[in-house]
Amino acid sequence: MHATYVIWSKHMTKFFRNAEEALGLAIQSVLWVVLFGVGMRGIVTQVSGGDYLAFILPGIIALSALAGAVGGGMMLLDERLRGITKEYLVSPIPRLSILLGNAASTTTKALLQALLMLLIGVLMGVRLAGNPLGWLAALLLVGLFALGFSGIALAVAAVSRSIMGYHGMIFLFNLPLLFASNALYPLSVLPTWMRTLVLFNPTTYLIDAVRALAFGAEPTLGLFSSTAVILLFAILGIWLALTAFRRSIRR
Amino acid sequence: MATAAIETHGLVKRYGEVTAVAGVDLTIAPHNIYALLGPNGAGKTTTISMLTTLVPPTAGSAQVAGYDITSQARQVRRRIGVTFQDIVLDPDLTGRQVLDIHGKLYRMNRQERKTRITRLVELVQLEEAIDRRVKTYSGGMKRRLELARGLLTDPQILFLDEPTQGLDPQNRIGIWNYIRELNRERGMTLLLTTHYMEEAEVLAHAVGIIDHGKMVAEGKPASLVSALGADVIRVHGHGDQQHFLHTLGTLPFVEQVQIDEHDNLVQVFVDNGNRRLVEVVQAASGNGFRVEDIAVAQPNLGDVFLRHTGRTFRD
Repeated sequence: MHATYVIWSKHMTKFFRNAEEALGLAIQSVLWVVLFGVGMRGIVTQVSGGDYLAFILPGIIALSALAGAVGGGMMLLDERLRGITKEYLVSPIPRLSILLGNAASTTTKALLQALLMLLIGVLMGVRLAGNPLGWLAALLLVGLFALGFSGIALAVAAVSRSIMGYHGMIFLFNLPLLFASNALYPLSVLPTWMRTLVLFNPTTYLIDAVRALAFGAEPTLGLFSSTAVILLFAILGIWLALTAFRRSIRR
Repeated sequence: MATAAIETHGLVKRYGEVTAVAGVDLTIAPHNIYALLGPNGAGKTTTISMLTTLVPPTAGSAQVAGYDITSQARQVRRRIGVTFQDIVLDPDLTGRQVLDIHGKLYRMNRQERKTRITRLVELVQLEEAIDRRVKTYSGGMKRRLELARGLLTDPQILFLDEPTQGLDPQNRIGIWNYIRELNRERGMTLLLTTHYMEEAEVLAHAVGIIDHGKMVAEGKPASLVSALGADVIRVHGHGDQQHFLHTLGTLPFVEQVQIDEHDNLVQVFVDNGNRRLVEVVQAASGNGFRVEDIAVAQPNLGDVFLRHTGRTFRD
């Protein structure tokens, strides 16, 4: 636990020290909301009876959580490629704490991104649902989702041989997770084949739940099943990371 | 206390088809400086990786500070300090942060960290740079910072993999001085690998020469050298080398002959260099071997290395 904390705090120090990374991620998020959101708001004024910016904000939050997770995975990859992992491996700390420290910092970054997006969305005039408990529940789900995707990012980072390879593999996940989901369009307008595809994507469940909990939309998938899917996704992500990480240190 | 600081029995590491270490037996007495020498790819770094618990051995066993490297890895890790062959530092952290985080990993408390860091920074002369980011450091400064990190937790045994690689002579001598001081004043056991013969000669109480994953010679530098013969006659030249070598082999006072094809150099180990010089020249000229340069010298560790690995040290 102690070592996990030390590694987490080290990564956060590095994150805030490295101004470009922190700023780059933030700007990326802002651009999504401001440019894409506002632009689309102009042509799509009504989606299922609500504001379009409010409609796509959960999707953008999910996407920025992904971006945060990708950045967190980079940190593990960078430390691995530089050999810094060796410093941890010869010190008297549990091997698992190396992964947990990474997962914690990656999830933190993803959550920070998500929070920032939410804040900007609110500043842009998106109205939140009345119940603060709902916001909290939505954040919790975003956290779980971030954990799941952090797991995937860390698993890829644990086996990648180069930064290029890492980004290539991550890219495979990133855009499909956004486009093959209900982030930009409601489920009801999709053709059946795409609907089926979209229902295999955990992002869909997160977005649906966040829309319901934080922005007061009517849930289309059921809050309980959405929560279950996201929880499962988080567990799967961590399991993947654990497996890949174990393999990478046993050499 | 007769327990060795490091003891290995038939240590083997295989990566698939490749055998990196093929059964190394090694004993390092406490409070000694031991230098592991060998050509590139001989298995030095792999040996260190096993002893520092980075990689598990394929076969054999080893005790470090009295603890088994596989079943008691945690105990071993608590008692060792390591600097790796490649520089392993976070460029975005300051030197002080690097040291502080390292201390936290070993559960040193704030006060301990503070006093140790102040003292070590003074030792490695990084006072002015310690609050700057590591990416602004020169190679020598990075090495010194790593040395300070390896020492931060006051280890019983310090592993240094190529501690002075790529450093200029001034920095190298500086690091030698720290190493000697640590050993003399704190009685710290050191295991280092090196590419530099002088480094081993200057520092080590004992050396081991490793080649193709096996220990080919081990002992005190002086006794390894004296086993070669009293003097060495170095002959540079061109011509019928084979015949020259054959003739040398028949001379009773010649103890050993080594050839360095690369430099057209023949080294003749003899009982007395000055007295045998003329006879060696005669053996050469009478056999169609033209001598370009000849010198009498005392053999050094480099000659020991060449003798056991068939390679000159710089290869």
